[in-house]
Amino acid sequence: MRKRYSLFLIALVLIISCTQNPEPIAYGRDACDHCKMTIMDQKYGAEIVTKKGKIIKFDAAECMVDFIKSPDSKVDIASDKFMTTDFAHPGTLIDADKSFFLIDRAYQSPMGGNLASFTSMQLAENNLQSADGKVLSWNELLQQTSKN
Amino acid sequence: MKILASSLCLLLLLQVSVMGETLIVGPGKTYSSLRAAVAIADKGDTVLVLKGTYVSLNTIIDKEITVLGKGYPTLDAQQKEEVVTITANNVKLDGFIIRNSKSGDMRDFAGIRLHRVHNVTVSNNRLINTFFGIYLSDSKNIRVSGNTVKGSREAINSGNGIHSWKCSRVTISNNSISGHRDGIYFEFVNNSLIKGNTSANNHRYGLHFMFSDDDTYRNNTFKNNGSGVAVMYSKRITMLHNVFQENWGSSIYGLLLKDITSSQINGNRFVRNTTGVYMEGCENISVHQNDFSNNGWGLRVLANCVNSTFEKNNFKSNSFDVTTNGSLSLNRFKDNYWDKYEGYDLNKDGKGDIPYRPVSLYAQIIEQIPQSVMLMRSFIVSLLDKVERAIPSLTPESVKDEFPSMKQWTR
Repeated sequence: MRKRYSLFLIALVLIISCTQNPEPIAYGRDACDHCKMTIMDQKYGAEIVTKKGKIIKFDAAECMVDFIKSPDSKVDIASDKFMTTDFAHPGTLIDADKSFFLIDRAYQSPMGGNLASFTSMQLAENNLQSADGKVLSWNELLQQTSKN
Repeated sequence: MKILASSLCLLLLLQVSVMGETLIVGPGKTYSSLRAAVAIADKGDTVLVLKGTYVSLNTIIDKEITVLGKGYPTLDAQQKEEVVTITANNVKLDGFIIRNSKSGDMRDFAGIRLHRVHNVTVSNNRLINTFFGIYLSDSKNIRVSGNTVKGSREAINSGNGIHSWKCSRVTISNNSISGHRDGIYFEFVNNSLIKGNTSANNHRYGLHFMFSDDDTYRNNTFKNNGSGVAVMYSKRITMLHNVFQENWGSSIYGLLLKDITSSQINGNRFVRNTTGVYMEGCENISVHQNDFSNNGWGLRVLANCVNSTFEKNNFKSNSFDVTTNGSLSLNRFKDNYWDKYEGYDLNKDGKGDIPYRPVSLYAQIIEQIPQSVMLMRSFIVSLLDKVERAIPSLTPESVKDEFPSMKQWTR
């Protein structure tokens, strides 16, 4: 009986550790895995959850993009999960591939990307402030050449 | 005698006309608020504000005037707006208590904001409970000195103490900043000087550089901040005689350098930090004559750093003097004093006879298996390190000080 119980426990641990669930960012405590800065601004955090459930946190979506594009990146675009912050609801993570990214000088994201993410194209366009601002989808954002 | 007197009068009159008029603001005086006086003032005038508390919902100083507080009058925005905005050149703002600016998600409400100005001085003010303290943007030749900036908001709801964006030739001296996100923040700021400031107990960094080139900071003290000082994506930064202390915690550094080129770190003291200096992606950095004492890690240099020199530093009582994740073959250590050095100096030239290897085997093991930190100071660890010292095989061959100093460098 005890053996079966412990087996069950091990299985449980395995199941829990394998789920690809995002983890909330502890603002003011967690550091960005790319630029090493402490994550402070609740409007701009981002996160990658790898296939195995490892959490990689970022202070801004531009850091996540740079991280994905870095030469020694081990990110798997197909199976990892990418999260970004809903600008309209600071501190809330949303799926990056369903988000729309506004690039606009009026938005001073932590790493100079001027990047804010929204849940819909409509919302992103409504928040446009500068004349040369633009809205990109997640795939378009990834294809864009990095500024840094 | 009469002629002398009249000429003296004339001289005085002339003086007055050159100096401009003085407008006095105070209870029962001609002007009851700073805003009213600024509206009437002309270029070159002085507005003198007497002691008292005045409501100031974003008073805009848009004329070239001098604004002085006498006996520290208080300008209070009651958490509804910014407190003071300066949009004219050649303004001096001195001697006020500035308090209670609004907090905002989209707008960075500040205590004192300067926008598109030059030759402005902000001195000897006390900023209390502001979201951003002093906010400089698109400005040149600015002096910020002798101010006390004290934030009292929680971490996620606080802005930077002295925030500077797209400026050049800014001098920030002898200020004291606490309780903000970053004590001093520079983004796209060039040819500027930060000296003699104390930045303590801020939520994130004491001082933070982003994309700012050709700046110097010296003789500052950074104490007990969330994470010391961060210098990121910048070139030609000179860091002299600063004190970095008490920055504790995981992923917290006394000084964090990320993608920095051609910079100097000389004569600084790193005391009681989790990591004294962390370097990633750096090139051409000289780290000379610094003291590293009582840190967890003295220096952590990642393998993507090249062409840097580490000379005449003192390493005392650090758990680990130097760690790395690679070979560091393109960097050089020379003439440092290491308190863990156990070699002899038989020819008495002041230099150890055998090289010192600052990266211990145990440090390498921790690099791979962080959990092994629990073996710290155990018998097995000291045994490992002793064996590795005698027959180096796993620690990077290239990280060594060929001429370790036998004596501590005195400063």
